[in-house]
Amino acid sequence: MDATAAASPSAYAAPAPRESFWRRNRHYLLLAPGVIWMTLFLIAPLAMMVYVSFWTQTTFAISPTLTTRSWEMFLSSQTYLDALLRTLRLWLTVLALTFVIGYPTALFIGQFVRNKTTQTVLLVACVIPFWTSFLIRVIAWRPMLGREGAINIVLMRLGLIDEPIAVLLFTELSVIIGMVQIYVVFMVGPVAFMLSRIDESLIEASRDLGASAWTIFRRVIFPLSLPGVVVGAIFVSVMVLGEFATASALSGRQVNLLGNIIVTQVGSLRWALAAVVGVVLTGVMVVVIAALLSLVNLRREL
Amino acid sequence: MMELTGLTRRFDGVPAVSDVTLTVRDDEYLTLLGPSGAGKSTLLRLIAGLERPDSGSIRLNGEDITHRPTHTRGLGFVQQSYALFPHISVFDNVAFGLRNRLVDPVTDETGVKRRVDAMLELVGLSDLGQRMPGQLSGGQKQRVSLARTLVTEPKICLLDEPLGALDANLRERMTVELRRIREALGVTFMHVTGNEAEALAMGDRMIVLDRGRAVMIDAPDTVYARPATVAVAKFLNAYNVLDGKAEIGGFRHGDVLLPLPEGAARAAHYAVRYDLASIEPAGGAPAPGRAAMPAAFIAREFLGSRVVYFLHRPDGGVFEVERHLSRSDPVDHPKDAALTVTWAVDDVLAFDASGRLIETRRLKGAA
Repeated sequence: MDATAAASPSAYAAPAPRESFWRRNRHYLLLAPGVIWMTLFLIAPLAMMVYVSFWTQTTFAISPTLTTRSWEMFLSSQTYLDALLRTLRLWLTVLALTFVIGYPTALFIGQFVRNKTTQTVLLVACVIPFWTSFLIRVIAWRPMLGREGAINIVLMRLGLIDEPIAVLLFTELSVIIGMVQIYVVFMVGPVAFMLSRIDESLIEASRDLGASAWTIFRRVIFPLSLPGVVVGAIFVSVMVLGEFATASALSGRQVNLLGNIIVTQVGSLRWALAAVVGVVLTGVMVVVIAALLSLVNLRREL
Repeated sequence: MMELTGLTRRFDGVPAVSDVTLTVRDDEYLTLLGPSGAGKSTLLRLIAGLERPDSGSIRLNGEDITHRPTHTRGLGFVQQSYALFPHISVFDNVAFGLRNRLVDPVTDETGVKRRVDAMLELVGLSDLGQRMPGQLSGGQKQRVSLARTLVTEPKICLLDEPLGALDANLRERMTVELRRIREALGVTFMHVTGNEAEALAMGDRMIVLDRGRAVMIDAPDTVYARPATVAVAKFLNAYNVLDGKAEIGGFRHGDVLLPLPEGAARAAHYAVRYDLASIEPAGGAPAPGRAAMPAAFIAREFLGSRVVYFLHRPDGGVFEVERHLSRSDPVDHPKDAALTVTWAVDDVLAFDASGRLIETRRLKGAA
């Protein structure tokens, strides 16, 4: 014991041996599982998708001879461009509606429910619809919205309408209703989280400085909840832009989104065109996410 | 001038503030002292309108503001946590009230800039206007919070433990700063604190709160020299309070019988200020007019300009004696040394069974 104690000061006095490269960098190993997984199952397929979009497609076969034919076909076809526009329009509508419906709900949960337990219970209540499968949730809209569906029956019994409302099902409206119902919770969650983190003393300080409730919302509460709105908007956007199931179940194949085109093309083994649509869709998402992130400095705010 | 009358607030039936009646004058520094849980913050929040009183009224310059919403009261409230808006710059924080208040907002940006710049200069933060609150130190945040409230020219500025989160050094500097800023603006400060030294040093007048009641409202030197109740004396952390009973011939405290000042025959508590007691060798008879009690030395604490000696009383409690070094050199005693503590009988404060100060002849003479 004494010997080591005596020896150690001199050992520390000597210049410390440089740590080996391995020792200095081994914490990067923690990244290995994630990097390997993502490379194999995300980066590689994405690269493959871009590559395949330039392959040559014949009716029944596909060959790796590079060509821009699929791209030309996509860009010159009114059907595909319409689908792109429809996707964007539907996305914006659903995003706006999830915000308009979700924000007040989140405001109630995050600001007016001061009890943490009640807050959690209410947020859990928001995800109750997810206890059933996606398909059931989507298909359950049909008996609700159809010509002889629940809504029309009730409205007719009440004498509010004489004819069943036809636009409720198998239209863009029904797709929007279905999507908003499914995705609104992804807006409520992040916004409620940010709102519940706002220190009560900030609101008291604003009141004390003479601001009315509306001014406090506009100048303090909303700006502080903006990161939650952006995160919620990213969730909703990514899911809506890639959607195909709600659209095909509720539109009776009348509303084709980019996602539906991919499904159709893959179904008929036209991989090259499906890859083109996939690349376009990915590009749209990148632009949308970049635009949303530029709204707010998430790194500073979270 | 603000008058509080019978202000009471209960939480789940337990009164946090009960029946507080007091007058806040114009252009004064008022400190509000009380142990934690005494209702200091609740009282401030009642005045600011952040809590509703169960009964009582608040009048500001003759106008009843008891039920006015916070944002139309024209009072300033500086929160203990500073409550700076994290998403806007220091300048915008300070400008918040001027720009956004419902009553008489300042819409002209050059006017806002002039007033905010002047206020930032007053609190010594002229260079930091463009910083974000997250980039400030505790003392700077404190000043921004103060500037943000003062720039709106409140009739009264309420400060909730404004120095609580600062370290000792900074606290001392801010003490001076707060007084300077207040005098420059001529606005009334109502400063809540749990620190008796702060309350004594800063206030023109001080209020002592105990269990929701204002037990004493007076100038700090009066509060210090003649605490109105035994609770105030205990809370000042400057008095040895001995419990016992007045008997024929003196005050019975355990085994010792201590002489009482004249007119204090109802005494139930007997208080001797730390700095008015002295330590003498054991055994000697006390000088005329002085009381003596045996005590055993425990330890001494050196505080720079003064020394505090801790001794065991015969009943086991601790007796403190404070000596200023300009008057006597520190004395060392072996641990458990048998000594005598003595004090002038005239310096004794006696409190009756309900805890009130008994007006003895000397006190009457002094008043």
